[in-house]
Amino acid sequence: MTTTIATTRPPLWRDRRVLSWVFQSAVFAVVAAFLLWLYGNYRENVASSGIPTNLNFLDNPASFEIPGNDFSQNQPVRDAYVEGILNTLRVSVPGIVLATILGTVIGVGRLSRNWVARQVATAYVEIVRNVPLLVLLTFTFLGVVLLVVPRIEEAWTPAGILVMSNRGIGIPWYSGGSGTTLVGVGAVGVLGWWLVARLRRRASERTGRPSHAGLLGAGAFLVVVATGWVALGFAITTPRVAGRQIDGGIRIDPSFFALLIALVVYTASHIAEIVRGSIQAVPSGQDEAAQALAMTGFQRMWYVVLPQAMRIAVPPLGNQYLNLIKNSSLGAGFGYFELTNVTRVTVGNGSPAVPAFALALAMYVGVSVLTSLLVNVANRRFRVVER
Amino acid sequence: MKGPADPIITLDHVDKWFGAFKALNDVSLAVAPQEVLVVIGPSGAGKSTMIRCINGLEPHDSGRIVVDGIELSEDIKNIQEVRRETGMVFQQFNLFPHLSVIDNVMLAPRLVRRIPKSEAERLAMGLLERVRIPEQARKYPGQLSGGQQQRVAIARSLAMHPKVMLFDEPTSALDPEMIGEVLDVMKDLARGGMTMIVVSHEMGFAREVADRVVFMAGGEIVEEGTPEHLFTNPRETRTRLFLNQIL
Amino acid sequence: MTLSAFRRSAATWARRNLFRAPADAVLTITLGGLACYVVFRLARFVLVTGRWEVIEVNLKLLMVGGWEAAHLPRIAVALIVLAGWGGIIAGLIHGRRVRLGAAASIGMSTMGRVVDLTRRFGLLIAAVIATLALTTSRGPGLTAGGVVVGAVAGRLFGGWAGARGLPRKVVVVGNLVLAATPLAVYLYLVDAVPLAMWEGFFFNVTSAMAGIVLCFPIGVVLALGRRSTLRLISAMSTLYIEIVRGAPLFVLLLLSNVALGFFVPASIAPSKPVRAIITFAIFTAAYLAEIVRGGLQSIPRGQVEAAKSLGLSPWSQTTRIVLPQALRNVIPAQIGQFISLFKDTTLAGLGLGILDMLAVSEAVTQQPGFRGQGLIIETLAFTGFVFWVGSLTMSRESQRLERRLGVGVR
Repeated sequence: MTTTIATTRPPLWRDRRVLSWVFQSAVFAVVAAFLLWLYGNYRENVASSGIPTNLNFLDNPASFEIPGNDFSQNQPVRDAYVEGILNTLRVSVPGIVLATILGTVIGVGRLSRNWVARQVATAYVEIVRNVPLLVLLTFTFLGVVLLVVPRIEEAWTPAGILVMSNRGIGIPWYSGGSGTTLVGVGAVGVLGWWLVARLRRRASERTGRPSHAGLLGAGAFLVVVATGWVALGFAITTPRVAGRQIDGGIRIDPSFFALLIALVVYTASHIAEIVRGSIQAVPSGQDEAAQALAMTGFQRMWYVVLPQAMRIAVPPLGNQYLNLIKNSSLGAGFGYFELTNVTRVTVGNGSPAVPAFALALAMYVGVSVLTSLLVNVANRRFRVVER
Repeated sequence: MKGPADPIITLDHVDKWFGAFKALNDVSLAVAPQEVLVVIGPSGAGKSTMIRCINGLEPHDSGRIVVDGIELSEDIKNIQEVRRETGMVFQQFNLFPHLSVIDNVMLAPRLVRRIPKSEAERLAMGLLERVRIPEQARKYPGQLSGGQQQRVAIARSLAMHPKVMLFDEPTSALDPEMIGEVLDVMKDLARGGMTMIVVSHEMGFAREVADRVVFMAGGEIVEEGTPEHLFTNPRETRTRLFLNQIL
Repeated sequence: MTLSAFRRSAATWARRNLFRAPADAVLTITLGGLACYVVFRLARFVLVTGRWEVIEVNLKLLMVGGWEAAHLPRIAVALIVLAGWGGIIAGLIHGRRVRLGAAASIGMSTMGRVVDLTRRFGLLIAAVIATLALTTSRGPGLTAGGVVVGAVAGRLFGGWAGARGLPRKVVVVGNLVLAATPLAVYLYLVDAVPLAMWEGFFFNVTSAMAGIVLCFPIGVVLALGRRSTLRLISAMSTLYIEIVRGAPLFVLLLLSNVALGFFVPASIAPSKPVRAIITFAIFTAAYLAEIVRGGLQSIPRGQVEAAKSLGLSPWSQTTRIVLPQALRNVIPAQIGQFISLFKDTTLAGLGLGILDMLAVSEAVTQQPGFRGQGLIIETLAFTGFVFWVGSLTMSRESQRLERRLGVGVR
């Protein structure tokens, strides 16, 4: 609203612009007063108990160990926090990937023409979605750790390459170099994939023959990675039981395993519904038009239906990913040292409660905001251009 | 059918911007009491914007707008008063779907003019009879046809006893067979002496009932005159081009 | 249909749905085999090998925790009253629609009605009967019967009253009574047993209800605030919503356990259930705000413009025109949020040490007679089953409501 040339300026208490500012300020003042009252109480209660209200506790020694790591007791608390958020990501990222794969399979399965597949998929979704996650996690934890998996002395070694015991689960893992190098090799492989795919697509445009860009690109990726593997001296170690430990390979903490399984199973049921809903939301006229153009089933799915379904699915999928990350906090009840558990233990060891939790919350919110931004970027990429 | 000389609505060099786009450019207009004004023009000409400025739905950026002696400004009292004196009928009817037809008509008189419920109900039924659908009183808007809904919308605006009725393309969203019933109600209103500003493409209506026709294009008033004059012998080229396209 | 015709159509069906392609056949056989095995093992567990004695003995603990036996009838009374109350409201809504001609009064024959109700609530009824089979006392059975009678009676009465259109004074008094009933029931219960002793499944249900009721005004205000054109208000609402939505509920519960005490004057020391409910309300308000915001966005702008043109004040515009439509449009999503909260109340045990049903199901396995036998499987299965039945039933009803309303703003 700009300069309206009116002959009379309205009195202040009736001026639309003045009133809106007064209202906003009043609301702000009330909220600020409430927050200040909370803070005042906090100061008062804290002063009488002698607990500090700053972040200095981050420099104190942690006084606890994190299993599965070389984290020593004497490292400062801030390192524990870092370890905690890393553990959160260590379970969330594979969780998101696996849950998406499983969820998509089940979601598509619900639309399958095979009756058995449809029923099984529906049963999965209807059962898992309606059970509280904590119940599921408790089940998984008990199942994995206490009842199904034997003690280390009688460890179960299926096919000679896995070790399953209550001390952890050993799977074959790489050795001979750092993980970063391996990731670098992988990145080069992805580059190779992209290059080969581009070349093949260009060739296909010229000649009209199918490009097989996907297959040849994947092949290029494998070649690069294999070459890098051998050239840089990587090897695979298999785990063996040595006394009460597991030698070689990598040991997966049972609580990590349980948490991962529970998160994947639970989140996949939600993702299945999202996938199913988004495929069904694509107007059937699209598929019909594609059929009229004599496209095969796979072509219709890949070029017409799925791209439109993705558009619809991205925001709710992003939401589920966020939920998975937040649900990883439940691992704290089962001995997995993700961020919440670290916070809880360090408060138990004497760190001041409110700053410790505030910091943890800030980190969760930060991860949340970051993921939201990524989802928004993905969303914008898939957006339909409209008038 | 012109009334006394003092105009009931005055627009004085009004400008309006939407961001960088100038929607109204130095628009000046005077409407006499009981006058029926029809505004025509191509889409995007600013016709809707102009009448939405008259009842304060859009704030104007410069110039003066005076309705029945009340000047539209940042004064909320003024804005409220102007809205009480003007009634607006929308292209999309905008009836409240969660209220019955009679509740739609009664709501504003009860809340704004604080009329007791029984009196408001009598008033509402009278208006529904006037627009010829009293039997639909207890139904919900979703159960009515487009033409019936628009007539309810007219009754709803009339319930506030406005001095001026503003119509923003009232028949553009209707199926052809229902346009007639709505135009009949509007003609009744005009003959009854209501001051009306109607944005419409219905030339037959304009020829029959309008006292004056205004042609707008590009945010400006290009030409105005009586229907006979404007339709048969327009002065401006732009007017002529537009009329050729639609007549 | 002759036998050969039946065989032919069955074979056709099997061919189309199970074995259309070789891949289909493989899928049918492997998945089908796996599913049969799982169902068999599950049935064996439930009916044969399961040691359900631990549930039989502890059913009361699981359901209501340490509620004094002398006051148990109060719960029965409360349940029956609430069942009748719910029935009356459902009946009133339906009756009103009949009166206004929006729905037919006699939709189905009695037989059809019974079949329909069985389909909708069959699982719930079966689960209740199965649970009642585990107990020897008569109380629960009588209560269950009373609840059914109350619900049916309420529904019939409400339907009659809604269809008739009663005089104004009666309506006003009736509405007041209906609004006050939940509060009255609450006071009736808390008078006998303090809030801190509300445990077991009872805690899960009541804390979820309290959470959703308390979060409602906050959520609506936040939604309106976020959509406001006033920059400061919009910023504050967005800040609250984004921060709370980014936080795991578990962390908030832990925080409320250690920290809530710091933020209030030392004289008010909120008990654990109160802390849990406050946290649930604060948490759910942010999610509800987003749901309501979706509802607000679904309303065409013309509605507000029409209201403005009629001279309605901003307050009237919002309360009479915008909110009624917005909230009605997102009823299914609101129910979904309640179901979500209902399941999340299980975190109260881990987070605050409250003896909710999940916590009880773990605790009873440590009793002298039951220790060390791995009975946690049975108790956990029972708890999971109870939640599953509740959640599934509510979810199905919500879908049905959604179809009926014909709206679906996600």
